[in-house]
Amino acid sequence: MTAADWTTAVLLPLGALFALIGTIGLVRFPTLLGRMHAATKPDTVGLVLLLLGAAFQLPGVGAAAPLVLVVLFQFVTVPVLAQTLGRVAYSRGETSNDHLVLDELNEAIELAKKDAGNSGGEQDR
Amino acid sequence: MTEGVIPTTYEQSESTSAIDGNRPWYRRLVARVPTVLLLAAMWVTLWGDPSPGTILAGIMVGTLCYSVAKLPHFPVRLGFSPFYATKLAGKIGLDLLLSSTRVAFHVLWRPARVRGAIVAVPMRTNSDFLLAMVSGSMSLITGSLVIELNREQGVIYVHGFPAASEAEADRLRNQIAHTEELLVRAFGTRSDIAELEARTPAAAERTEEGTA
Amino acid sequence: MSLMYYVYVATFTMLGLGVLFTLYRLVRGPSVLDRVVCLNTLSVLLVSAIAVEASVRGDTAYFGLMVTIALLGFVGTITAARFAERRAHDRG
Repeated sequence: MTAADWTTAVLLPLGALFALIGTIGLVRFPTLLGRMHAATKPDTVGLVLLLLGAAFQLPGVGAAAPLVLVVLFQFVTVPVLAQTLGRVAYSRGETSNDHLVLDELNEAIELAKKDAGNSGGEQDR
Repeated sequence: MTEGVIPTTYEQSESTSAIDGNRPWYRRLVARVPTVLLLAAMWVTLWGDPSPGTILAGIMVGTLCYSVAKLPHFPVRLGFSPFYATKLAGKIGLDLLLSSTRVAFHVLWRPARVRGAIVAVPMRTNSDFLLAMVSGSMSLITGSLVIELNREQGVIYVHGFPAASEAEADRLRNQIAHTEELLVRAFGTRSDIAELEARTPAAAERTEEGTA
Repeated sequence: MSLMYYVYVATFTMLGLGVLFTLYRLVRGPSVLDRVVCLNTLSVLLVSAIAVEASVRGDTAYFGLMVTIALLGFVGTITAARFAERRAHDRG
């Protein structure tokens, strides 16, 4: 076995393990936000490790180029996804308060409501 | 329930076209070159061989996509410091790995007990691009997820995931402030960095008020 | 050679188990957003599996497919999430 083979032999199972743990989190976490954390992020690490491991088995740099592109897409799209989903989850009221130590966004919203009430006008979009 | 109170932050700002109006056509063309080059680079990567024909085709397809989709051009002014950029890349990579491992641990060990916290972090930079990069890198790192971004007040609301106490929430806040600082120092212009430094003590006071 | 064989078997087994767990959450729900997250996870797992397959055969024939799935997964998830938000607003 060559050095490239050894690298692949380490990176592939490690990446798959991260992906697997992410999906176990998807099953086990009790809250929606927790499940989002588990699903979107260890998956990213897992994907990067897997693609890196796979790249060592390919014939050349040109052949591995699409892998780089996929990692780049993943890095750009994961934050957008996480942010959109988090925002939607919060505005739908699907974040359970029992599992939050602190919720400063709710405090800010309450404050904004009070301000709107004091100034007399209904602040609508 | 909360509709109307949470300000929408996704709307495209009008400023891009307003700036464009005052510029001669060649300046507008130059501002669009980086995006077309980026699209061309993607095209070449997809084909996997950097021959002149592929590059030419990539530039043509990029220009076509650009004119059809009216993509926004790159933000006008950016600084770049290789030292801080390297430091930032290292920090993000390390954070990604460490916090992924942390979440993995919590997945296997009593997941029902894990708690999170939503903290408000005042941002010290006012540039659209830098704000987007901060919230983007926060959402990329495991254990933090930007839920809301208040553009007018420059506050981001971050959900930190394994956060069992107020102390851990404070640590999350510090970490976000640190990432922001590295980002501004790596990609901000001189005025952005000056703004960051000017606002640093004030931001600390505001945070303390917020938690009190 | 034989070690690589076990490496690939282990990797595919873990990815397959991951797909099973994701399908469980996809069916169970309870929220639409859970299902949206699951669909995205499935697309990521599929992309991983294609990459591993390419590594087994040392052949990049399916890479176009891989990039397409990575992009479509993203666009689909964002669309579904925005749709879920719109529907919640209409109801409320």
